[in-house]
Amino acid sequence: MIEIKNLTFQYKKSDKPALRDVNLAIPDGDFVGIIGTSGAGKTTLALSMNGVIPHQIEGDYYGSVSVNGLDTVDTPTSKLCRIVGEVFQDIDSQMVSSVVEDEILFGMENFGVPHDEIGVRLERILADVGIEDLRHRRIASLSGGQKQKVAIAAILALEPDVIVLDEPTGELDPESSRQVFSLLRKMNREKGITVIVIEQKIMLLCEYVKHLLVLQDGVIRFDGPTREVIAHTDDFKQLGINIPRVTELYGRLSEKRDAGGRIPLDVEEAVAMVRGVMKR
Amino acid sequence: MSTGNILDFQHVSFAYHADRPILTDLSFTLQRGEFVALIGSNGAGKSTISRLCNGLLKPTLGTVLLDGRDTSKVPVSKLASSCGFLFQNPDRQICENSVYEEIAFSMRAQGWKEEDIAVRVEEELNRFDLKADWYPFERSRGERQRIALAGAIAAEPELLILDEPTTGLDYLECIRIMDYVTYLNREKQITVLMVSHDMELVLAYAKRVLVLCDGNLLGDGETREMMKQESLLKKARVLPPQIPELALRLGEGFEDVYTVDEMAEAVLGGAR
Amino acid sequence: MNLLNYVEGSSFLHRCNPITKLAAAFLYGMACILCGSIVGELILIALMILIAGTAHLAGRAVRLTWRLLVLGLLMFLIQLFFVRTGDPLVVVGGFTLITKDGLVSALLLSLRVVATMLPLMLLFAITEISDLCNALVKSAHIPYRYAFIVTTAFRFVPILATEYHDIEDAQKSRGVDLDTKNIFRKIKLVVPLTVPLLVSSLKKVDSSAISAEMRGFAMRTGASGYKEYPFGMRDAVVFVFLAACIACSVLFLRGGMYLI
Repeated sequence: MIEIKNLTFQYKKSDKPALRDVNLAIPDGDFVGIIGTSGAGKTTLALSMNGVIPHQIEGDYYGSVSVNGLDTVDTPTSKLCRIVGEVFQDIDSQMVSSVVEDEILFGMENFGVPHDEIGVRLERILADVGIEDLRHRRIASLSGGQKQKVAIAAILALEPDVIVLDEPTGELDPESSRQVFSLLRKMNREKGITVIVIEQKIMLLCEYVKHLLVLQDGVIRFDGPTREVIAHTDDFKQLGINIPRVTELYGRLSEKRDAGGRIPLDVEEAVAMVRGVMKR
Repeated sequence: MSTGNILDFQHVSFAYHADRPILTDLSFTLQRGEFVALIGSNGAGKSTISRLCNGLLKPTLGTVLLDGRDTSKVPVSKLASSCGFLFQNPDRQICENSVYEEIAFSMRAQGWKEEDIAVRVEEELNRFDLKADWYPFERSRGERQRIALAGAIAAEPELLILDEPTTGLDYLECIRIMDYVTYLNREKQITVLMVSHDMELVLAYAKRVLVLCDGNLLGDGETREMMKQESLLKKARVLPPQIPELALRLGEGFEDVYTVDEMAEAVLGGAR
Repeated sequence: MNLLNYVEGSSFLHRCNPITKLAAAFLYGMACILCGSIVGELILIALMILIAGTAHLAGRAVRLTWRLLVLGLLMFLIQLFFVRTGDPLVVVGGFTLITKDGLVSALLLSLRVVATMLPLMLLFAITEISDLCNALVKSAHIPYRYAFIVTTAFRFVPILATEYHDIEDAQKSRGVDLDTKNIFRKIKLVVPLTVPLLVSSLKKVDSSAISAEMRGFAMRTGASGYKEYPFGMRDAVVFVFLAACIACSVLFLRGGMYLI
């Protein structure tokens, strides 16, 4: 459970706050997508959930963030990062090893996981993420999608309750992007891990996440179930955020006809919606 | 302005290692003023093609003609006058302390006169909503991408290559970049070759699509025509855009539907 | 760069303890320094290429030798003109340009440089740097922090090389003439090539540091390492072999100044 109360944060060199009076509660087991234009405060919000802000990155900090009841200001990051793991934006620079296996071992070794347990956990993580065949591969030889899976596995090895990802599909092609999101969904459903993902690709978000969080200029504009948030089509346009074409279609149709009460989030649902409109 | 082909790939093959060809016997031409998208999954050879266009890579076999010049025989620095290149990461080219100098950079490299440079830079600054004295390294990602684009087209190339131009940009910045590219294409007849994964972007902006798969040209045709080729796209591991896919699923009566407007019209008309 | 990266394999050499490999490279180098004859150095170079062959690296060893010969040539020329003792060989207008001693010692020195460097260069081909550092932390109790700095530096080399290559592409595409022979233009090229590289490496180092810290880097102790690097018979064989090499160098290949 992550609870953010009246959080305002301003980077040292900046002249305006990156986050302003943010209030937010993310329950255990949620799958949240964060979207917003660049500079809206998405990355700042993510970094304040695991204590990088204010411990590693300093600035003016007001309000409070608590993770499983621990206040992030009073708790060392070494403790927080075992609860909230983060996959950072730049895939290459966050890797610390040259071989996949070593990358996944790194965190477990650091935190002193007993050696007889490390081996078992390593095998389990490789199987969960579906990268058993990559175990002895060199990271430099992997594709972008494979690297991202390794980065996720390396975080999962610490058995966090929450995993935060900052634009994990930024440099991936559509196929690998979907694979990454499918993996996140699997971890969310099967392991009950809370997933928080910053993403520009609205269509992926609509298809996978349960909750959508829309940021603008450091303020939370919308926060709710994906289908409810995406219903604010006009606001999205004004915010400069894309919406899926099928959602836009729903808006267009419901101006003239009864399009049913359920906004389609993907093509599958749109087929049903159109058939419904045509029957009525 | 001369007419004819700006880019001509004649039986082009390319390989770093002889036993692992990346492109095999590829032929196509781009006519002046076209807006073409190059699509395909990662590793299909898209980046290789874009780098062959301006001579960064030279074909192992065959010939690439850029504006009538054989790219194997002319140095890249000379070919740059015909071809502007926008890479996905603007940070790889930005190196000057001010936006003015950054935009002027390619013109200086190509030996333009100072007074001509000043005129062009002024023009680009206004059009892109940029300030001459900004320190480029501290601007946002979207602004840096705009600075890079302004720099790429400042020297008035006839062909503009965009390599995943909207990666890492939010929707607003993406639209800004694409609208300007469209303006260049329509008003200044600059030929555009865009490499992209984003099929919605391709459908919205490109007139013609080249589909690439494992180093072979799988398809080449008018954008809308290609969006309907379900099996071809599947083979190239490309996901069709939402509305054309919806139209395919709905079947009869939706054959010529590609956009939200057209779909709305078809549905409302059909339901009447 | 390609001549220094790690090559995967499961040969005898690959499976040695990383510390053995490091020590072996130094000991072999020592044999080359102790060796005092031209033929001896040639034998040691040939032997090293043969040893590399057992790890399927003969090709690389030959190429490395070739590259090192450039360095060797430089040493050769310096030594050739600096040594003034011995019978004159080449006399130009009453001035002795080259002496016999000069030629012999120059040849010996240049070959010795090649022979000494070769095993150190080949070390990278058969040793994963992270393995070496882990082993040094475990067995030699080197602080993890230093070992990590070394592995990270090595890991960043190919990443930055790719980055540099892409920057070159970007600048060439803007009409920068990177192949210019004009030295003043070449100096000007430093800015467009190094500024973007500096900017991106600073960003990468920053995010790398935060990422490592968020995975408990600071909590690590010497005993944390999961992998074990035991010494075995294989390593004993290597040390015996090297002892023999050094003995041969000292006993049979002293040679004095002249050839054998």
